[in-house]
Amino acid sequence: MNKKVEALQARGISRRQFLAIGAASAGAVGIAALSGPVQSAGATTSSAQRILRVGWTTPPDLLNPFTFTSSASFEIVSLMYDTLLEYDVNLKSSAGLAQSHTVSADGKTFTYKLRPNATWHDGKPVTAADVKFTFDTTAKNNLGQAAWSLGEYLSSRVVDTHTVAITYKKPQAFDPALAVFIVPQHIWGSMSSSQIQSNTNPKPVGSGPYRFKKWATGQYVQVVRNAGWWGVAPHAAGIIWNEFANADVMTQSLASGSVDILTEVPAVLWNGLKSKPGVKAAEMQSFSFHHIGFNVSKAKTSKGNPLLLDKTVRQALSYSLNRAQLVALALAGHGQPGSVQLPPSFGDWQEKIPRNQQFDNNPAKAKKMLAKAGYKLGSNGIRVDKHGKPLHFRLIVIQTTDEDVLAGQIFVKAAKAVGISLTLETLDSTTLGNIVYNSAAPDWDIFIWGWDANNPDPDYLLSIDLTSQIGGNNDVFYSNPAYDALYAQQAVAMNRAERVNLVHQAQKMFYEDAAYCVMWYQSKLQAYRTDTWQGWKETRGGVVYNFTRSNYLTVKPK
Amino acid sequence: MNARYFARKISTLVVTLFLTVSFNFLLFHVLPGSPVQLLARSGHYDAAAKASLTKLFGLNHGLLTQYFVYLKNMVRGDLGFSYTFRKPVTTVLGAAVGNTVLLVGTATVITIFIGIWLGVKAASRANSLADTSITVTSLTLWSMPDFFTGMILIFVAGVWTHVLPISGIETPGLSVGWLGHFYDVAKHLALPALTLMLVNAAEFSLITRNSMVDVMVDDYMVTARAKGLAKRVIVWRHALRNALLPIVTATALYVGMVLGGAIQVETVFSWPGMGLLIYNSVEQRDYPVLEGCFLLFAIAVIATNFISDILYQVLDARVRKN
Repeated sequence: MNKKVEALQARGISRRQFLAIGAASAGAVGIAALSGPVQSAGATTSSAQRILRVGWTTPPDLLNPFTFTSSASFEIVSLMYDTLLEYDVNLKSSAGLAQSHTVSADGKTFTYKLRPNATWHDGKPVTAADVKFTFDTTAKNNLGQAAWSLGEYLSSRVVDTHTVAITYKKPQAFDPALAVFIVPQHIWGSMSSSQIQSNTNPKPVGSGPYRFKKWATGQYVQVVRNAGWWGVAPHAAGIIWNEFANADVMTQSLASGSVDILTEVPAVLWNGLKSKPGVKAAEMQSFSFHHIGFNVSKAKTSKGNPLLLDKTVRQALSYSLNRAQLVALALAGHGQPGSVQLPPSFGDWQEKIPRNQQFDNNPAKAKKMLAKAGYKLGSNGIRVDKHGKPLHFRLIVIQTTDEDVLAGQIFVKAAKAVGISLTLETLDSTTLGNIVYNSAAPDWDIFIWGWDANNPDPDYLLSIDLTSQIGGNNDVFYSNPAYDALYAQQAVAMNRAERVNLVHQAQKMFYEDAAYCVMWYQSKLQAYRTDTWQGWKETRGGVVYNFTRSNYLTVKPK
Repeated sequence: MNARYFARKISTLVVTLFLTVSFNFLLFHVLPGSPVQLLARSGHYDAAAKASLTKLFGLNHGLLTQYFVYLKNMVRGDLGFSYTFRKPVTTVLGAAVGNTVLLVGTATVITIFIGIWLGVKAASRANSLADTSITVTSLTLWSMPDFFTGMILIFVAGVWTHVLPISGIETPGLSVGWLGHFYDVAKHLALPALTLMLVNAAEFSLITRNSMVDVMVDDYMVTARAKGLAKRVIVWRHALRNALLPIVTATALYVGMVLGGAIQVETVFSWPGMGLLIYNSVEQRDYPVLEGCFLLFAIAVIATNFISDILYQVLDARVRKN
């Protein structure tokens, strides 16, 4: 027998072995396939040990309270950490880690009395020094989401172990105590700013109602009830936020009972859930809007079409749109037509523009305005200015946001009808963001995008289009000293009625200037099972995934 | 096979790898889109917080400096740290690679064996009813998009009958022993692995069949039959070995793609592997993670091609002589 045949035989045997291994693996999968019904954590345990299971498609990014950016992380962090004050289920400010507080007559100093029985998850007591450390560190290093609210921060003073006085350079109409998550100094105190920023915080230690148990990246985050929490103990022994890469499968999982509640459901799937037994599909107001933004940059380097600097053109474009139709078509009816930049969820903070004064669904008026301003209709149906320059603009939209793409297509037609031509281009969100925010030399005309509020206070949404936010959040380079002044006044107005009035004026001014054309305020579409947990309270902003953590703490097993 | 041949192959490998790494770096960094901009917008960061983040990510330096820092760190085995997760890229990749290898690896091994077996069966009974059914079924399954096959399986096994989990790699929060965990993962593995097998086994069965049909009519096959060898021996020992070359090529290409995963299948089944990681990282402009992923792919493709070159030598005397 020569060597070759030997080798062949040797390989022949090993091939057979491989086949056997392959068959065994196939068998293992097959056996798994034949196994019993799907197990589900929490479904079979006693009610005291029941785990609340949340489904979402939005993965959390970080569980470091100084650095997270996603709404999903906010949801989890806000159950592990406390803020001095928090929003109740009606989104009203209520006591948090601080059981009471007082504000000085000048509105600049806020004194908080901490709960004496509050402890960190590692058993150490929560003290005024922790609060001072958190505020100092956040303000000094400009850390994360809360930094926004501490622009006027001056200093904190430890009055006694459980009392802290926080002072600002100006009166604070919005109390940052609602935004800053308090962290333990004994864990974070020795870190430098860059260490804090690169800290993954693998085992978060907070003072909140739930403690961290596990984060399986790309799969789920699990927290368990903190027996030592200062508040009324929640009923759920633990919470699991289960990540889905696919909204269809997530919706199926709710229908089949392997999760209890979904944070966001796409409209088409939400409609399908309405008829499912044991499921409640809930529609609530959101704190978000989608808008058409016009490049109104006056910078010499701007490459935007200068014809958009004419308010008449912007208002005419706004008039050309039928917002009720947009809501019906792009949102399948799940929203309200837009006007000012505060959604109706803000209640009395929102300026109500009378129907007959809104720049909406009036193409005849748009045509009249344009004609009067000297934009004559050209032979091709497109208007031209006095120098013969056509009213032609580029429109950019995020390709994965279906409703925006649809709105863009409708907008192109509506503008055409009043003699303005738009060319629609779709881009991915990051590309669009970087084109829009290129504040040095913005090279775009019109975009479609949206904003979410970061809390139920009007300050943040009003702050977006300040002159000082050019290079920051200001996405249209709007700059109006009168608007800036109104914003500054409301930020220090300690009298609510006075502040409401200023907030209204600011919205009205911004609306008239028409740098934004707010298309709609979309609904928050959620869904939950009615046969596993009871007592879900539907509120503006959502049952969960909202600025309040109340529902997590009060819902009861059924 | 001699030393010079090896040296040449290895130097080609190194150059290819270097070019790939540089190209990857350039590709992601010239893409419009700073990772900080969107983080800042969705995270409600103010300008100062944004600037401090840019510095932390090292994006305040010029492109060339970033490139050299990247190369320097890579030589040390440091692939940078993820903008999204603020963890070393190696850690982020590690978990995802493990999950993908479990899914795609299992599916691939079974796929190749089933595919080859079906192909051999079809070829050994060429033009019979069995051959026609195998070929037609293979073509049908192969031409279906894998996410679609996945959705069908989800409806059959997950929604109608509830026999198998349809999402994730394990039951969240289930605390069971080692064996229980193994069983739990196996159940989660079943549907996505089956999806990949259904779609991809066809590829191997068709290639094997066609290659085998060519070989089966060669003179030496007639000789083998004339010698009185059993059909099983003729088919599996003589024909298959000579028909293996195209199969090895297909396998090399396929295995090279294994890490790239199965983006669609991972998305449908929420399987936390490389495919899903890449998808999310592109969305978030997490350059270091993307660069790490593509480096791995490059290594996988280059390595499998290298191995298949060597295998050719073993399998085919003509390659050896040249």
